[in-house]
Amino acid sequence: MSIDYTLDLRGESCPYPVIYTLETLQGMKKGELLQVIADCPAAFRNVPEEVVKHGYTLEKEPMKNGKELLFFIRA
Amino acid sequence: MLKRMFNQYWSPYLVMAVAGVLSALYFGITKTVWAVTGEFTRLGGHILEWFGVDISGWAYFKLIHMEGTTFTRTDGWIVWGMFIGALLMVLLGNNFKIRMPRQKRRWVQGLIGGFIAGFGARMALGCNLAAFFTGVPQFSLHSWIFIVATAIGTFGGAKIVGTSWWKGKPVLQKGNTAKIVKERAKIQPYIGMVLAVGYAALIIYFYAAGKNMLGTAALFGALFGILIERGQICFTSAFRDLWISGRATMTKAITLGMAVSSVVTLIIILVGGMDPVTKMAAPSTLIGGLLFGVGIVMAGGCETGMMYRLMEGQVVFLPVFIGNIAGATVLAYGWDHLGIYNALVKMGKPINLITELGAAWALILTLVLLAAGFIVAVFWQKNYRFGVGFKKGETKHVH
Repeated sequence: MSIDYTLDLRGESCPYPVIYTLETLQGMKKGELLQVIADCPAAFRNVPEEVVKHGYTLEKEPMKNGKELLFFIRA
Repeated sequence: MLKRMFNQYWSPYLVMAVAGVLSALYFGITKTVWAVTGEFTRLGGHILEWFGVDISGWAYFKLIHMEGTTFTRTDGWIVWGMFIGALLMVLLGNNFKIRMPRQKRRWVQGLIGGFIAGFGARMALGCNLAAFFTGVPQFSLHSWIFIVATAIGTFGGAKIVGTSWWKGKPVLQKGNTAKIVKERAKIQPYIGMVLAVGYAALIIYFYAAGKNMLGTAALFGALFGILIERGQICFTSAFRDLWISGRATMTKAITLGMAVSSVVTLIIILVGGMDPVTKMAAPSTLIGGLLFGVGIVMAGGCETGMMYRLMEGQVVFLPVFIGNIAGATVLAYGWDHLGIYNALVKMGKPINLITELGAAWALILTLVLLAAGFIVAVFWQKNYRFGVGFKKGETKHVH
């Protein structure tokens, strides 16, 4: 699994994690893989929900990394 | 089972339904509603007193009663209980972390948003609780005005935070830049257990000392704090996310919670022969709601959501808290000194749906309106998309 881009959202609170993630995905080519690092608990839930609703796929289960969460999203 | 409780967040629907029942019971026991911003305003008043300001003549402080200290008031213990309940959950889940905002502008944005939200909430005599979640189940008309105004306000707020100078830029890099961290020994859950035992002892003390109402407030406050943290309940997102990406999870959960609470509250009112808590419906309710809506989106959280986020270590909510108290205090000053009461409040009156329509129709109307809101939310979630709104077609790709 090769990651094309990493979006580091640590320290960002709502609504910026969702906005940044969707904007970044819109700017990527179809098929590219985005890794998102989040540490806002609300984002643990709304980022995956919104990504899937907007037609992107979660490449694999989010990974817990200490108190952060890593998402792998296919554009 | 324990792992599930503390490591996973709970269903927001279940959480809001339980909160709805608990807030109705809290009203039945104490005759007051679950609320926080009134106490924030009193804290502002106490701070002024520290600095030697004589507030005895301020009409707003007479209205909300300044007697005692925050630790001898039920409203005080609701606030501290919420902070402690939320902190307990964060610690037991080993989830506390100082989360520093990377962009300096967030500090200023939090302060400004918090100020506007605090000012607006107190102008309307309640925030997302007393003029919303616990206002609707009291059948107080002012909460419906407030909800509509908040919705409009959040639309404005969403427009502001969507501009590039407000939003800022994230850190986006090519390739994989994540560093995998090794989990160290967990000490937070032990601190949490000590805190839980200590707080339980305090509640027992209140009851043993005959301070039953303080004990009840301390207990319910903690329960509310536990619920909103575990459900990640966010009243701000209930509106804001509709405008941004069409997310309606919170909208639906909060609507469901208010429906449950309305039924239980009405039973308590009728069985107990109690008077519902009715607040003034006036132009100030509308203007206050608009300001509150704009402010909570700018701040990234309302007076309730701010509380558990702060306990998670999201330090950007510290200026929000300060802003909330400052805004509420300035409103208290302006109430009589700047003529806010005479200009926007005096002509209003407290209107209760039970008095106007009778208990049965009040409940039916409330449930119908909530159901309509729920249906709109479902439709919205299905059809509204980030960047394009309701327009048909695939989500656009720039490349």
